Amino acid sequence: MSAAANSSRQQTEAAEAFAGWLQGLSGGAAVDATSSGTAQDWLAAERQQAAERVRAQAVPTGKSESWRYTGLRSLIDQGFVQVDESLTALTPDDIEEILVPGLDAHRAVLVNGRYSEALSDLGTLPRGVRVGSLQRMIESDPDALQGVLTRIAGEGSHLFASLNTAAMQDGLVLLLERGALLERPIEVIHLSVGMEEPRVAQPRHLISLGDGAQAQVIERYVSLGDALYCTNSVLELSLGRDALLKHARVQQESPNAFHITGLYLSQDANSHYAGVNIGLGGTWARTDLVTRFSGEHAECDLQGLYLAGDKQLIDYHMDVRHGLPNCSSRERFKGILYGKGRAVFDGLVYVARDAQKTDAAMSNRNLILSANAEVDTKPQLEIYADDVKCSHGTTVGQIEPEMLFYLRSRGISASLARRMLCLGFAGEIIEALGPEALRDYVTEQVGERLERAPLD
Amino acid sequence: MSAIPAEAITAESKADTVGQYDDLVNAGYEHGFVTEIESDTLPPGLDEGVVRAISARKGEPEWMTEWRLAAYRKWLDMPTPTWAAVHYPPIDYQAISYFSAPKKKEGPKSLDEVDPILLETYQKLGIPIEEQKALAGIAVDAVFDSVSVATTFREKLHEAGVIFCSISEAVQEYPELVQKYLGTVVPPTDNFYTGLNSAVFTDGTFVYVPKNTRCPMELSTYFRINTANTGQFERTLIVADEGSYVSYLEGCTAPQRDENQLHAAVVELIALDDAEIKYSTVQNWYPGDEDGKGGIYNFVTKRGDCRGHRSKISWTQVETGSAITWKYPSCILRGDDSVGEFYSVAVTKGRQQADTGTKMIHLGKNTSSTIVSKGISAQHGQQAYRGLVRIAARAEGARNHTQCDSLLIGDKSSAHTFPYIEVKNSSAKMEHEATTSKISDDQLFYCRSRGLSEEDAVSMIVNGFCKEVFNELPMEFAVEAQKLLSISLEGAVG
Repeated sequence: MSAAANSSRQQTEAAEAFAGWLQGLSGGAAVDATSSGTAQDWLAAERQQAAERVRAQAVPTGKSESWRYTGLRSLIDQGFVQVDESLTALTPDDIEEILVPGLDAHRAVLVNGRYSEALSDLGTLPRGVRVGSLQRMIESDPDALQGVLTRIAGEGSHLFASLNTAAMQDGLVLLLERGALLERPIEVIHLSVGMEEPRVAQPRHLISLGDGAQAQVIERYVSLGDALYCTNSVLELSLGRDALLKHARVQQESPNAFHITGLYLSQDANSHYAGVNIGLGGTWARTDLVTRFSGEHAECDLQGLYLAGDKQLIDYHMDVRHGLPNCSSRERFKGILYGKGRAVFDGLVYVARDAQKTDAAMSNRNLILSANAEVDTKPQLEIYADDVKCSHGTTVGQIEPEMLFYLRSRGISASLARRMLCLGFAGEIIEALGPEALRDYVTEQVGERLERAPLD
Repeated sequence: MSAIPAEAITAESKADTVGQYDDLVNAGYEHGFVTEIESDTLPPGLDEGVVRAISARKGEPEWMTEWRLAAYRKWLDMPTPTWAAVHYPPIDYQAISYFSAPKKKEGPKSLDEVDPILLETYQKLGIPIEEQKALAGIAVDAVFDSVSVATTFREKLHEAGVIFCSISEAVQEYPELVQKYLGTVVPPTDNFYTGLNSAVFTDGTFVYVPKNTRCPMELSTYFRINTANTGQFERTLIVADEGSYVSYLEGCTAPQRDENQLHAAVVELIALDDAEIKYSTVQNWYPGDEDGKGGIYNFVTKRGDCRGHRSKISWTQVETGSAITWKYPSCILRGDDSVGEFYSVAVTKGRQQADTGTKMIHLGKNTSSTIVSKGISAQHGQQAYRGLVRIAARAEGARNHTQCDSLLIGDKSSAHTFPYIEVKNSSAKMEHEATTSKISDDQLFYCRSRGLSEEDAVSMIVNGFCKEVFNELPMEFAVEAQKLLSISLEGAVG
């Protein structure tokens, strides 16, 4: 009895500490918003409401369904404080080491959540394409953002998204006008640099493609050194009719980083979204991918590869909501786990009553390489329409001894053989990344991690 | 409360002659009639006094009363589960009468002593006990409401050393076995309904199969819910000792009623070394009328414990009835090389809701489990598969295969799948597959072009869809289940 009472008291204390911490993070920003003038009244109101939501919401515990397998304890214990100033000391030479060799792209760089003019190398952008700082745009042209920014993420129940809305300062904006065509990919580097105190950056990004626009975006989350920090980012994506977006996201943060991303996608009729998520870094990484359709015949293709090694937790939550007929969605995620790595996959495909002729398929396949790794997977279907084709599949397994034997019998060392088989498993997802330079780079990154992995 | 068999018969014959399935759906519930019989019923309400009264009426020993009271006290603090995808108005647990026994003088020793009205009821249901005797050696422990009134084949089982009796009898006659095993698989504190059941269970079945014994016949209990406003709290405990085998069949029908009836049973299975238990259920309780009014609430906790090495527990269920089903027959695979199986067909139509599935908890080495779940949703039927496969860190070489398919008929029906998969061991192999679709036009067209009526075609396709599960049922049950399925889906198509 006393042990139970004790643990419940501890829980209450933890919840209070967490609530205090959240309010600290959201409150400071509200002041920031009101100080920036009257042109963005709507934005100030949004922030205010988001801050209210953060205050009103119960602190997630192990009993909250969406945090069932992902404890917040380690995040709270860090006592992260808000990043308040931008870092301008970096020069282009400093980021040389983190670039993808041979990648030909327009480059936008954000440092600790703030857009950096000095480090970005946008080159010549085609007509109808705008790339820049969110903060700058809020100051200069807030009307272009009204009705888009914060509207795609909506007033969802996600605590960290609300926190981000309340506290956002800067981020990346990419706007493509109707029919605009971005031929070269645009690379967005989210660079994090460690500060003396552990900091949390809360950038807000917006990518909006007008009707028939086409683009390829490569986002990379990277760090300088083994810094300890937290990123709580929200990315809002809007695709107009017939728009096409190829979106690669590579998360390769420092082994001490905490990473939270909410990606909110809104797709109009006939639009096509192809997203590839690579999760390699961080000690605690949570990604929520949320898709809504606003027109028929839209296609959403989400793929992912995650590697979780020692002391790493990688969590992907997916919420694909079919509210209209004739749309299709694909989710294909693969994971490799080693050491004491943990992975969580929670995918939901929701098909509303009117969403007839929905075609949805979800798969999650996991390779466990060590005795202490763990995977918790929960692929869910919630279907209220009858004329649909929906499926999901999950597997958890290990490298087949026969395959290993085959390679070893040809003189290949056990560790190399394992690496080859893992890369073969991962290859299918890496292939979907687009530019060859990026594919080679990610293959190398995955290979390096597997080489360092203590495979038993 | 008058006997209205005439109505049921009319409905049936109408169905036969009209032959159009639109009319069939209105045929009503075939088994809806009420037997007038004097019941010894406690007034509605629940407190410690009621728990003591139930225990006293059953003449239970002190330890049993205490066990009930402990469960009751814990239950008071337990919350009602709300996570399932089912919707119903809150239940007033004080409005339920917790005990109802057909009046009896002495415990009947043969069928002659059984109240003839009861026997007639079984005949109406098409399960006359006399015929059951002859039929493939099935012993029937007929549970009418809460007290066992007829038990057959006792002697034959006695020869084999198999104990097959009501749980109240077992409490009296085999207290050491009951004390040793009761509540060890499903503790009273497991959930809200097990707490309630542990406090107020009135009767149920006890089976003990001794070492190295193969039970000579399939054991079977037919449940009936009778007497308005009586919740039924059955308790089943089956223990298969080392090297033994038993197959148990459970089948249910219930009379038509206007008020919702709560059924919160607990079933515990224990398989020791090399033992095997096969548990089959055909559930066809009253699902309520077209608006979903009056059906049974079926909140059941079923769990098997493969306690011994190389033991096996297999659940097979065909669920076509009840307004709401909340049921997760599970297996704890504790012994090394133990095997758990779950085969399920669930049909929801009208306003029926079902949240069902299984849990396979792998603890022992080289344990394996198979889950095959087939859901069919028609009209406004709602259905969810909710399953957990957990492979513990020490469960080396665990293996799981899960397949859950849903078939949707009509655009108001729904089907959900919520699988939880937790793997903490690298040598585990698990696969999960799920699909949701409707009967394709191509399939239908193919059958129609070969001269089958739409209804026959659908029936054939659905039977094919469920075949994997029906194959697991004992012969007699398989036939009954197929029949039940076609009857259930009549009128739901088109």
